[in-house]
Formats: sequence, C-alpha cells, structure tokens
Amino acid sequence: MLINLRVWLKIPDAEAATVKNTLRRRMGYEDVLAELGKERLWSIEVDETVADPGDLARRLARDLVNENKESYRASVDSVKFEEGYVPVRVGLSIEDGEAVSTLNRLRNRLGFDMVRGVERSVVWKLALSSAEPEKTAEEIAERLLVNPHKDFYEIVR
Amino acid sequence: MRIAVIQFPGTNCEHETLAAARSAGLSGEIFRWNRPAEELSDFDGYIIPGGFSYQDRLRAGAIASKEPVMDALREEADRGKPIIGICNGFQILVESGLLPGLGGVNVALAQNVMVSKGEIVRRGFYCAWTTLRHEAPSKRCSGSFLLKKGDLVRMPLAHAEGNLVTVDEKLMERLNEENQVVFRYCSETGEVDGEFPVNINGSRENIAGICNPEGNVLGMMPHPERSSFAWQLPPTDSRKCVGDMNAAGPGRRVFESMKRYIEVRGC
Repeated sequence: MLINLRVWLKIPDAEAATVKNTLRRRMGYEDVLAELGKERLWSIEVDETVADPGDLARRLARDLVNENKESYRASVDSVKFEEGYVPVRVGLSIEDGEAVSTLNRLRNRLGFDMVRGVERSVVWKLALSSAEPEKTAEEIAERLLVNPHKDFYEIVR
Repeated sequence: MRIAVIQFPGTNCEHETLAAARSAGLSGEIFRWNRPAEELSDFDGYIIPGGFSYQDRLRAGAIASKEPVMDALREEADRGKPIIGICNGFQILVESGLLPGLGGVNVALAQNVMVSKGEIVRRGFYCAWTTLRHEAPSKRCSGSFLLKKGDLVRMPLAHAEGNLVTVDEKLMERLNEENQVVFRYCSETGEVDGEFPVNINGSRENIAGICNPEGNVLGMMPHPERSSFAWQLPPTDSRKCVGDMNAAGPGRRVFESMKRYIEVRGC
C-alpha cells in the first residue's frame, strides 16, 4: 500500500517564484508559462495490513509536514492532480540520502514499524498556454528542472 | 591584468577571492551579475567564487547558469580567456555546460555521499581541510598553470553538493585521456583512496577539479582563496605563519597560475 502526501507551502514559495522568473525572463517562456507551482511529494510504502491508512497518513504528516507553514493532502495508492496544469514529477535517480534518513527516522526512532519504504520527489505544476502543453513541459524539464546525471522526471498523467 | 570576480545573489566568497587574486599580483573588481554583460570583455580573466547563488534554489548553480552574464562568459571562454569556478562557481560552470565543455550538461555535482568499507558513513554538508593531487601536466590548465603533475596542494572545502556523477560511462575515460582531470582528493602523502575520508565527498574517481578541453576553464570544489595566505593554514600545518600576514599559502598557486596563464597567452 502506498500513502502519498502532497505537501505545499502556505507562505509564498520563493523557489517556485525564482524558477518561474527564470523560465519567463531568461529562457523564453514569457508567453507560454502562465503560472508555476511546486509541491513536495512523499510516497510512503506501508504494510498491506494497515487497517486505517487515513489515520496513518495523519500521523506520518505530523513528522513530515510543518503545518505552521505547510498544507498537505493525503491519498492512498494513486495520486491525482487537479486540471489546469501539467504536473512534472522530479526525483533523484541516484540514491536519495534524505529519503533514506527519513525511512530510518520513521521506523527506528518514531516507531512506524509498518513503513517499508520512502520516496521523495518534487512536483512542478506548470500552467502552460502552448498548443502541446505536455511537450512543452518535457522541454522545460529537460532544459531546467532536471540534471539528467542525477535526476529523473515524469509527466504525471 | 584585470580580472572580474562575478557576484550573483547569494555569492559569499567574493571579497576573499578578490583579496587572494590581488595577493598573487592580479588586479580586478567584483562584478555584479546584473551589470551590462558586454562590460565583461574589458577583463582579462574571470573567477566565479563560492557561496549559494540564488540560495541553491532548484539545485546548486542551476538558476545562475541561465543568467545573461553566463552567455557573455561563454563568449569570453571561446576567446581563450581564463575562467575559474570555485565551489558554487564550479557548480554554475557545470550547469551552464562550460565544464567539462563537451556540449550540453555532461556531469552533475550531486549531494555528498561518504563511503567507507562499503557503507555510507555520512551524507550532505562537510567542511574540512583536504589535500589535492595535481593530475594534469604542467601548463595544461589556466588555474594550475604553474603546478607540476603530482604536486600536492592543501586547501579547505565546505559544501553539500560536490559529488561528481555522470550517467555517461565513457566520460571518465575521456576526461582522463584528455587530461581534463586537474585535481583529485588524496591523502596528505598523495595516495588516492576512493574511500572517505580521503575521497571526501564520494566523487567519481576522487575528482576535485576538472577543466574544459582547451584548458582555459577550471572548476574545483575546494577553496584556494582560503589557503592563499600562510596565516589561514590550520595550526597543525608547519607552514602556518602568523608573523607575516602576506606570506603565501598553498592556494595562492591557483591565482598565480591564472596570472601566468594570462601573461603567456596574452589574453
């Protein structure tokens, strides 16, 4: 079973603003990129025997989300994003040390024995006005959002 | 000989880098990233110093690499002028494709992963003194022009993302064959050991610095400006000198090399 936590900032996201400005002002997407948002995505594999995954997601969020500045939405197994933008998920293709540390912390310090694996990624939400938004999103990912020697990306459909 | 020390938002080593360059006989100034880029052509060489350009947003060096000043630097590099990127400067040069300079982005400087006896013993930010072995022949590279192959140089490093990785399996062979590997992390006596603490950040083949095929662009993770004066050396180093505040430290050779490179090449 996979618990997904989509986490985003309630306060202004300076990193998203910088990436948007770079794409629009420096890379020629001024007329194409209408808006850009960012979320962190925790994909947490847990035992199939977990009876109440919603409750477990809430308990996991107490560690993984700072609700003073962040909001989150939990889902089980699949992740569904809203209409109106192209979600581009970016993660590390090499070992992710923070994900490894998080798994260790959840299991060995916080007692979440049912957690089997943790994957961390970032979802860039690109609102695009091009004729082929997904193609444009792929182009943006390859030109800026990833370094192919350590990152992967996928368009979340 | 005038050099420009490029300052992006978040750069934090520009003043000591300029001081180190001046101690080697260069003159120059700090060049803000948003000045008219064409003014760069007035300079004989360029240094992109360390820091956290754009707060490392997205990934280290990625945003700065898209600034117009980098296009201007690319043109100056094509003219043969020397460019040295230190720490974050190296990350910017990698993200801009100026290093290793084989077309596109050929490597990544990923998060440090320290391995010992087959196990990961540390990750992330690390700050320590390290020894570099000069791997390239003398005069191969602008920033090590005066160093001989096998010379050892002590300087500190401080970074979280200096672990050179690539998915191109043939790249290492090419970098080695073309003498583009300029510095490797080694022990104090010069042995290259792939494990921590000698390989201080897990970098492929202990790589600490590389140059472009032409040799005028150098990127390195350690900080030569932090060992350009003998007083900067750690107390355990016998060369430490606090009496003469201008006495040279080992890192100064990088800046002296740049000066000599400019003299010889008439940049």
